[in-house]
Amino acid sequence: MPTILIVDDDEHQQILFEEELKDEGYDVVVAGGAREALDMVANTPPDLVVLDVAMPGMDGIEALGQLLARNNRLPVILHTAYATYKDNFMTWSADAYVVKSSDLSELKSEIKRVLAKRSEEPPAQ
Amino acid sequence: MPQPKPMPWTQDTSEAAMLTSSSKSTRARVIAMVLAGGQGERLYPLTRDRAKPAVPFGGLYRIIDFSLSNCVNSGIRRVFVLTQYKSSSLDYHIHFGWDILSHALGEFVRTIPPQQRTGQSWYLGTADAIYQNIYTLEQERPLLTLILSGDHVYKMDYRAMIDFHLDRAADLTIACIPVPRAEAPRFGVAAVGANGRINDFQEKPADPPPIPGLPDHCLASMGVYLFNTATLVRQVIADAKTDSSHDFGKDIIPRMIGSHAVYAHDFQDKNKKPQKYWRDIGTRDAYWEANMDLVAIDPVFNLYDPDWPIRTAPITSPPAKMVFNEPPPGGRCGTALNSLVSPGCIISGGRVDRSVLSPDVRVDERAEVTESILMEGTTIGRGCVIRRAIIDKRVHVPDGVTIGVDPAADAERYIITSNGIVVVPREMHYA
Repeated sequence: MPTILIVDDDEHQQILFEEELKDEGYDVVVAGGAREALDMVANTPPDLVVLDVAMPGMDGIEALGQLLARNNRLPVILHTAYATYKDNFMTWSADAYVVKSSDLSELKSEIKRVLAKRSEEPPAQ
Repeated sequence: MPQPKPMPWTQDTSEAAMLTSSSKSTRARVIAMVLAGGQGERLYPLTRDRAKPAVPFGGLYRIIDFSLSNCVNSGIRRVFVLTQYKSSSLDYHIHFGWDILSHALGEFVRTIPPQQRTGQSWYLGTADAIYQNIYTLEQERPLLTLILSGDHVYKMDYRAMIDFHLDRAADLTIACIPVPRAEAPRFGVAAVGANGRINDFQEKPADPPPIPGLPDHCLASMGVYLFNTATLVRQVIADAKTDSSHDFGKDIIPRMIGSHAVYAHDFQDKNKKPQKYWRDIGTRDAYWEANMDLVAIDPVFNLYDPDWPIRTAPITSPPAKMVFNEPPPGGRCGTALNSLVSPGCIISGGRVDRSVLSPDVRVDERAEVTESILMEGTTIGRGCVIRRAIIDKRVHVPDGVTIGVDPAADAERYIITSNGIVVVPREMHYA
């Protein structure tokens, strides 16, 4: 099954997202911050990253640029409590933008869509 | 060569029409991004110590001054210059020469070195240069972004292009100039429909599509792109996720044809000559020829039109001086004819013909300089003969040296271009 890296600084939300996505059958790994996530991606690249935006230290927008600079094919979904970043050009390089909700159906369907889209593309050369 | 007629979709550029339509372009929020990061290897050794846009041109100018003057003359006063290789000379020129706008009114010409916010390397191509500066676009949020090259010589009012773009609700408008079909394989070439919409675009095509009704000409891209900013951002992001060459001409534009409204804008030259003038200073020969375009009695490129001033950094040198007027035969006579002579030059009993002299050049007695470009601080000793040469800054040519006279001897010492121009690198020392 595809591996999903959840990057979120809130422990309760980490647990919630991890449980729900495991129930969907994904392998899930968790990073509590952007720098930890960059290290994890460098060591064991996941198939998709679910990335929080407002985090202490490096935020999700900066992390998005750094992740794509290291691997331009890495699928990333921004997952944030705020809709305001959606208009920010810096977030447009994410594959999807999902506003956090207690109902995770949008996140789940976006993960499916992005993974399906990525598997249709020719592999990187 | 007969000049092609205006393209059928060309707008009315009469003064009255311009007056009534100029409001749109002035209302739209436009920024310019000038690509100034190229290595300019084909201009070596002129680019040994400086970026291509910083190469001196026309005596007083740097090549980038033409694009920047076009911006300011067109009312585009928020200009970013994206620098990269050997940017120190360019950076200094921009700070010293172009800090002329009102910061209080939000106007600026500013250099940005690579930020590595969204990339770990230097710019991989023209599109990557924009991708790595999306942060700047986010800070500015312009409606339209004008992408320019820092190494082109031309005079263009970008307002006419902006109006054209807005009138057609275009996503991307590319300024184009008709070129003879034989020369077209050097350029990006657009195939257009009757309304100016581009339905095919190929970079350096072997078999370039002619202009409808003008079988001997093609529409060449001038590397001047006007994008809706949101479209630009989406396009460079999509491109960054591929293994393309990250180039506007090769990758972005061909991919947008068909799915987006991409138009060709027929370049309206502000140079007021029968032949439209636009030059890509890509090679040493092109560089020499473009300089020679300035020196004729009726030059094909006119620096002297007050309606379209070309600006540069202020010069602090004293006036040029020509001295000695001794009677022939045998008398020393300091003359410069059909030439551009910058402040600070002293022609001391030598003869300069069809040449371009940057500030503080000295030509000593009985020296002859013909069809040559002498850069700042260079001195030509007594009795030298200099023909068809480019001599970079602060070269002190000793008495009696000849350049451009004996090709075999020149080849041992200097760089010779394919057209036989001799190039002497900056601060070259003579033993």
